[in-house]
Amino acid sequence: MSDTTDSPTMAQDELADKPLRARIKENPRPALLWFSGVVILILLELGRVLGAIGTIGSAIRFGLSGLATIPNWFGGNVSDALEGTDETLAVLGGALVADTAAIVMLFALASVLAWFVLPWRLIDRIGFESTRRIESIVERILLTLVLVVGAALYAFTPVGTFINAEIAFAANLLDSLSSTIPSLTSRELIPNEGHRSPDGGWEGTFLGLSPAWAWAIRTTVVFVYALICLVWAWKGYNVYRDHYREADWTPRDDTIRRFRGHYWGIFGLVVVFMFVVMAVWAPAISPVPIEHNVFSPYSHEFDYLGDDGEIETITHGAANLQSQSNGQNTVSPMTYDEYDRFAPLGTTPNGQDLLTNLAHGAQTSLIIGLTAIGLGALIAVILSLITAYYKGVADILTVLASDTIIAIPAFLLVMLLSVIFSQGNHPVAEPLDGGLLLALILAFAYWPGMWRAIRGPSLQVAEQEWVDAAKSYGQKPSAIMRKHMAPYIAGYIMIYASLLLGTVIIVVAALSFLGLGITSPTPEWGRIINDGRSYVSTSSWHVSTISGLMIVFVVTAFNALGDGIRDAMDPEADVGDDAATTGGGA
Amino acid sequence: MSRWEYFLKRLLLSIPVLFLVITFLFIMLRLGPIDPVAARFGPEATGADVQRMRDRLGLDDPLWEQYLQFARDLLLFEGQSWVVQANRPVRAVIYDTAGPTLWLGFWAILLPLFIGLPLGFYAGLNPNSWGDYVASIGGIVWLAMPNFWLAVMLLAVLRQTDGGGWFGFDWYQLGPELRSITGTPNLDWYSISNVSVFDIVSFPMLTGMDWGAFAVDIKFILPPALVLGSASMAAELRIGRTAMLETINSNYVITAKAKGLKQRVIVWKHVFRNALIPLVPVITNEAFILIGGSVIVEEVFNISGLGRTFFLAVIQGDLPLAGSLLFMFTLVIIFLNILQDFLYTIIDPRVGYER
Repeated sequence: MSDTTDSPTMAQDELADKPLRARIKENPRPALLWFSGVVILILLELGRVLGAIGTIGSAIRFGLSGLATIPNWFGGNVSDALEGTDETLAVLGGALVADTAAIVMLFALASVLAWFVLPWRLIDRIGFESTRRIESIVERILLTLVLVVGAALYAFTPVGTFINAEIAFAANLLDSLSSTIPSLTSRELIPNEGHRSPDGGWEGTFLGLSPAWAWAIRTTVVFVYALICLVWAWKGYNVYRDHYREADWTPRDDTIRRFRGHYWGIFGLVVVFMFVVMAVWAPAISPVPIEHNVFSPYSHEFDYLGDDGEIETITHGAANLQSQSNGQNTVSPMTYDEYDRFAPLGTTPNGQDLLTNLAHGAQTSLIIGLTAIGLGALIAVILSLITAYYKGVADILTVLASDTIIAIPAFLLVMLLSVIFSQGNHPVAEPLDGGLLLALILAFAYWPGMWRAIRGPSLQVAEQEWVDAAKSYGQKPSAIMRKHMAPYIAGYIMIYASLLLGTVIIVVAALSFLGLGITSPTPEWGRIINDGRSYVSTSSWHVSTISGLMIVFVVTAFNALGDGIRDAMDPEADVGDDAATTGGGA
Repeated sequence: MSRWEYFLKRLLLSIPVLFLVITFLFIMLRLGPIDPVAARFGPEATGADVQRMRDRLGLDDPLWEQYLQFARDLLLFEGQSWVVQANRPVRAVIYDTAGPTLWLGFWAILLPLFIGLPLGFYAGLNPNSWGDYVASIGGIVWLAMPNFWLAVMLLAVLRQTDGGGWFGFDWYQLGPELRSITGTPNLDWYSISNVSVFDIVSFPMLTGMDWGAFAVDIKFILPPALVLGSASMAAELRIGRTAMLETINSNYVITAKAKGLKQRVIVWKHVFRNALIPLVPVITNEAFILIGGSVIVEEVFNISGLGRTFFLAVIQGDLPLAGSLLFMFTLVIIFLNILQDFLYTIIDPRVGYER
């Protein structure tokens, strides 16, 4: 950037609290420059970005529709229980309970909205004034009323159908756009699937290169693009720090400086970054689309050059079964099979491409890991704030709950719960072939550990003078927790989250190794290892060995990253060694 | 609050925890999404059978009666296995399968202690040497290796040596001969008979040892124990190193050096004992790792112990057996937590509930 020198003086002049928007308005040039870079980066991958938005949208829709079934589930249970006594009573009771549950849920939503999201209050608009407590209760009730009216409109009038149709239309539009708009890393732009032509060259591949080279170029493009994105994000932070941050120095600067000198942590960051790139760009890194090769291999065909010099067609499924390079139904790493398909890491015992499986398996692990740890960390942080602030009964109850969950061996608990829910055909076991269920169970099993780990720091921060000051100044407890306690705890939870992510990856892999958790066809690293289990000492050694080494690498990297964050946050901190027993029992 | 009061509080706290665990298991197993009758019979059960089974299992009783019955079965281990060893009492199943698991667990605790700790202490005594780097990095990578993968790899390597592998090394022929490296250890090397003293008290005592069979069983259990102990080995190495480093840089060690004590005396008398304190939780925490890991290691090495029985019970929907085994593991962990608090109360006078 050109003008980094003039800003600190300006920042010093304006120590007054101004929103970021106003600060950008004053000096828009660096922000605009950075932002135009972001736009270019997004445009390069527009198709993929739109696809991702569509996926996230459908995930949110699934979650919302799941939540929407809860009231009826309560109601159904009650009306079942009452059925023996009186028919009308059963129907009435069920409806009553369902409505009550819905209203309670909306009230909870309203409370969250009033606390954290909405910048203004309804009661200010209607000019209602009373004591603080009554004001906040009235506010929540009003919000709930608004939500109830909205929900009723949605559920019982044509408005709902209209909205649904609009959403479906938008989703379709996104879908079709994402498949037509080209992106830099799409396999249409740099195709690697082709076949030998009778005159010796390659047909259908990028620039007529061999599939191996085409694949290598596409993978390189992916990693270079991802690296540029990372660099640009870092640049964006620097732009913010140099031009728009009000303080010249914050403790975070020191944390970052310490982390930059921590080579072990940087190693972890690099490997974790590569893992994330592999997961996010799994479709681009896979030599063959997973849809064709794994999910429905018998409904997709491709051409190859037959032995007699003719171009022939075969389904992926048949080719998978018949491709052999070493007599064991697998293809060794870095070789072609008889059907001109290139397998960078070889194939699995059932002939599927190993890298395709590994990349999409990384996606599975990452989604589960992030969901589980994110949810668990959220529970842990909220409970630690509440217990540290209020202590007393809340504290004792949480201690009891966490002690109970910790007393049950985590791996066995996860195993039992995942089998109970998947054998009981619970609807939550459907998404990702059990992935969502597993994430929820892991969050349930691991939040007590995280809560315990940050209990010390949160008790400490609750005793600080600034918290006392905020209390006597009359700030709301929720605001104190959010503004004055949570930032202090956030660092600690990051350390544990990073260390626990390794554990979660191992536990998920171990479960699918045992044939539980995530079932076929969603790829999972543990299942690949299980598939290759009996071939380790043969020429098909690569199946289990490469997948296992991937796990070792990624878990080591998450541990290293956790160590790095810990040392960077607080070199004197005596935390993290308890959680260092990563791999706990799997 | 004195430390004994704190200990007593922890002891009392374990009672509601136990009750909550039972309640949790009841909710999951009885009220969860699995229908017990379907789990027992499979989907194609006829109406009359289903009704008879519902009566037998007491599924139509009031909920609180079911709960009491459930809690009683768990606490006294009085349930019956449904599928895995059909209609056998849970207690008999546990009795039959506990032996191999205990044998495995014993070695899985012993091996790390004798490999991980010395390595960690060595690394701590020679910080920033090549040996330290090799041990530390090895420990970190060792920690990241999943048990199941390690087990698969180790089995493949050992199988490879059958009939002479690299350098003529043959695991099957080395020492006592093994025919297979997977399966359940026999554990029939001891004979126990009742010995009576003065015809008044009679108690069981070890009367005979078959040393050959003993050696075979040890050799047999070494690979699975090595895998099972891998995580604890790495943890002990890491924490042993830190503890040693911290102790060796503390003031009293410098004092000891200054007054001219020999290095050997310093290390063994002053450093070693104090470095052991932070290792207490590590060693008790091993129970967590061992219990979880035993499922996988026993499954891969085909040992029919408690872990594998639990695995079979879980996948075959044998709810009472799975519940009872999980409850037993929970009891072990609660007991170990109490033991750990107790040890802390005794060893380290600084630990207390002070804030």
